Amino acid sequence: MKKVKMYTLSTCLWCKRTKQYFEDRKIPFDCVDYDKVDDAEQERIMAEMLEHGGGGSFPYICIDKDVVQGYEPVEFDRLLGRKDK
Amino acid sequence: MNLEARKKALRFLFAPIVDKLGYKFNPVEEDTDFLLESEVSLEQKYGFPYCPCQARTKDRAANMKIVCPCIPFHREHYDAMKRCWCGLFVHKDVSDPSGLKQIPPDKFNKKNRT
Repeated sequence: MKKVKMYTLSTCLWCKRTKQYFEDRKIPFDCVDYDKVDDAEQERIMAEMLEHGGGGSFPYICIDKDVVQGYEPVEFDRLLGRKDK
Repeated sequence: MNLEARKKALRFLFAPIVDKLGYKFNPVEEDTDFLLESEVSLEQKYGFPYCPCQARTKDRAANMKIVCPCIPFHREHYDAMKRCWCGLFVHKDVSDPSGLKQIPPDKFNKKNRT
């Protein structure tokens, strides 16, 4: 199974929907709420996002080595190799 | 001011501003309510109703560009999506926002450079 990691904001509607997408399909994921971690961790997360071309817009999802920024269920399906949409 | 009163006040404050920019509140009331509630909590915590879906950093100038309504600072990007990043506002001609996609800023910038 592909490894899923995401950075989210606790205040973000689309982050909430993204988590729901993976939960509904019982796909395990690691998630960090950017606004709930300390300054040093925030800087590390932002540096990682910038390195992969993402700015400070959430949600930010890594599916193995692929990155999706924003709530994109069709793209999640494609990267996960899911046929049911 | 309590939560509901502040949400109502933000609606009152934002509506004429975004109207002049060609936008309106998202017609999906459940989403709009969630986003406004998030903004009120951010305003209570940090002093400004920041975008609930964009990160604040130590860069104050950058942070000011995500204070709602942040449309003027991201005009071309948001116009291309017909919505702002968090979806609190959509273009006036949008009646069903469910099909509007978030275009990541770097993808939008790349597309515009080519």
